[in-house]
Amino acid sequence: MNYYVETILVYAGVDIIACLALNLQFGVSGIVNFSFIVFQAAGAYTAAVLSMPPDTASGMSFQHYVLGLQLPFPIPWLGGALVGGLLAIPVGVLLLRRLRSDYQAIALLVLSVIVNTVITNYRPLFNGAAGLSVIPPPLSERIDPYTATYQYLYVGITFVCCLLVLFVANRIVNSPYGRTLRAMREHELAASALGKNLVALKLTVFVVGGIIAGLSGAILVGFISYWAPITWLYPETIVLFAAIIVGGRGNNLGAILGGLLVPLGFEEITRFIPTGFGPPGLGPAIQWVAIGLLIIGFLWFRPKGVLPEPRRVFNEAGIEESPFMEVRAS
Amino acid sequence: MDLYIAAFGFGLVSLSVIAIAAVGFTMQFGITNVINLAYSSVMISSVYVAYAFNHAGVSIWLALIAGAIFGAVFSFLLNRVLYTPFQRKGTSLLGMVIVSLATSLMIQNVLLAIAGPYNVSYVQPSGGTIRLGAIVLTVVQVLVIGIAVVLMLAIHALLTFTRLGKAMRATAANPTLARNCGIPTSRVIDVVWLITGALCGIAGVVAGMNSDTFAVGNGPGYLITIIAAAVLGGAGQPYGAMLGAVLIGEMTELSAAAISADYKEVVAFAVLVLVMVLRPQGLLAKRGALAAAG
Repeated sequence: MNYYVETILVYAGVDIIACLALNLQFGVSGIVNFSFIVFQAAGAYTAAVLSMPPDTASGMSFQHYVLGLQLPFPIPWLGGALVGGLLAIPVGVLLLRRLRSDYQAIALLVLSVIVNTVITNYRPLFNGAAGLSVIPPPLSERIDPYTATYQYLYVGITFVCCLLVLFVANRIVNSPYGRTLRAMREHELAASALGKNLVALKLTVFVVGGIIAGLSGAILVGFISYWAPITWLYPETIVLFAAIIVGGRGNNLGAILGGLLVPLGFEEITRFIPTGFGPPGLGPAIQWVAIGLLIIGFLWFRPKGVLPEPRRVFNEAGIEESPFMEVRAS
Repeated sequence: MDLYIAAFGFGLVSLSVIAIAAVGFTMQFGITNVINLAYSSVMISSVYVAYAFNHAGVSIWLALIAGAIFGAVFSFLLNRVLYTPFQRKGTSLLGMVIVSLATSLMIQNVLLAIAGPYNVSYVQPSGGTIRLGAIVLTVVQVLVIGIAVVLMLAIHALLTFTRLGKAMRATAANPTLARNCGIPTSRVIDVVWLITGALCGIAGVVAGMNSDTFAVGNGPGYLITIIAAAVLGGAGQPYGAMLGAVLIGEMTELSAAAISADYKEVVAFAVLVLVMVLRPQGLLAKRGALAAAG
């Protein structure tokens, strides 16, 4: 029972971190990153191969992978975050540079499907469709991963990472840079006319999101010790989109709420739906239909989400608060 | 060398399938301004409707018509119930992309719950083969090519010679102006969804006839080739989609002969990225991906 609670807490932490990252891209900057899960997967794979022994080591010969450096704890996670960020650079340069935003979304969606296909079919890199297993949990050489202490420690580290990411995300959202990102989201042409470099803005937020996504993947893979193409199919990104749309686009608290409600809520609630009726796979199918209904329902009835983005009114020095401004603000 | 000539022959069949699908997809985008990511889900649903008829003992050609009707009605309803209301509400293009992707996910999973994840195939007469040098095609495959040619000619005739086609082109160019000139644009758009939906259904069923087996999971794969063909030719351009289909169809089959059939979609994607980077407006379109969103 305890293990169940800890699993939920770690999953919640990972989902919250992922939602905060996607919120920076989608909610704040308006980049519809349909390949978000690819960056999470990049972080997870990197963390895995950095912490695993070489594939020639005893007991690992059933799988093939690159590297296998067996590096100590913080390095695989940092490596995962780094690779998530690095991967965002070529993708951003290729796809975010000149395209119309709806084309960008489609190109990113297609990218997500294709990267998954390539990793599935190409075995030498990350063991193809079977994926990587027996990934050593971080710090396992010091503390036995099967003890309660270790589980609490993992939850604690995840929580600290959540706070760190929330801090960074809040700083970005409330900074002049965040304001510029929102200006770009609201009206690309106007922002560009004011001398804002849209490509640079999109690229930086894409890289920041990629770094955080990579970190979330590293945390997840250290806990579940397994990573395969089937765990990061493109619909997983849609779950995160549902979370942000439900929680509240552009609001970090909304992203946290959505991360708690949608990915976690659906996984755990459907666990208690009785199985054994209907054809196999009915349960997951119902789950996906519910995610779709959630997105469409919220976009129709409450497009701003449960916790809407706070309306920001600037009362600059020298300008007295006039009735006009109040009207605008209300 | 014979291997590549044979692959060229298979390319003729797959480009026919892609052409039917891509023309429907691109017309939806060009005329109604919806990037319908649920297109592949409607397509695979039509495949299974035809499959249900086929396994009830109906001939594959009647099942093809059933699939086309299903695709038409389903697409029409999709637009009426979902897309048009969202568009009237002023949902942005990006919002529409998200709505259509969510819809795609739902359709695919409802179908998965009904039909199951198994690989199935149509019952169809083997017919025999037709040889032309190193190219060996089954009679069914030759008929698929024939269907595609007829449909492409029909679309060309529709757009060029009929009042309806003219109204469609006017609606695509400037819907407000078209409405002001007395063109009933909403009725035109209804007809567009019916026609493109029928193309979508036919494309699905002929894709199913052309492949040994199919499963619900094939949907996203269809979508990638369709998008690649449509964007390559210039999104929203029916003739561009035909050209894109020819190029993508041949390239994927020839690459399958040269590298591996596992990477067909990767080749399509590589073409897509190249086009988006080098010529985002597509081969034929004057305006396209470069135009401001709005």
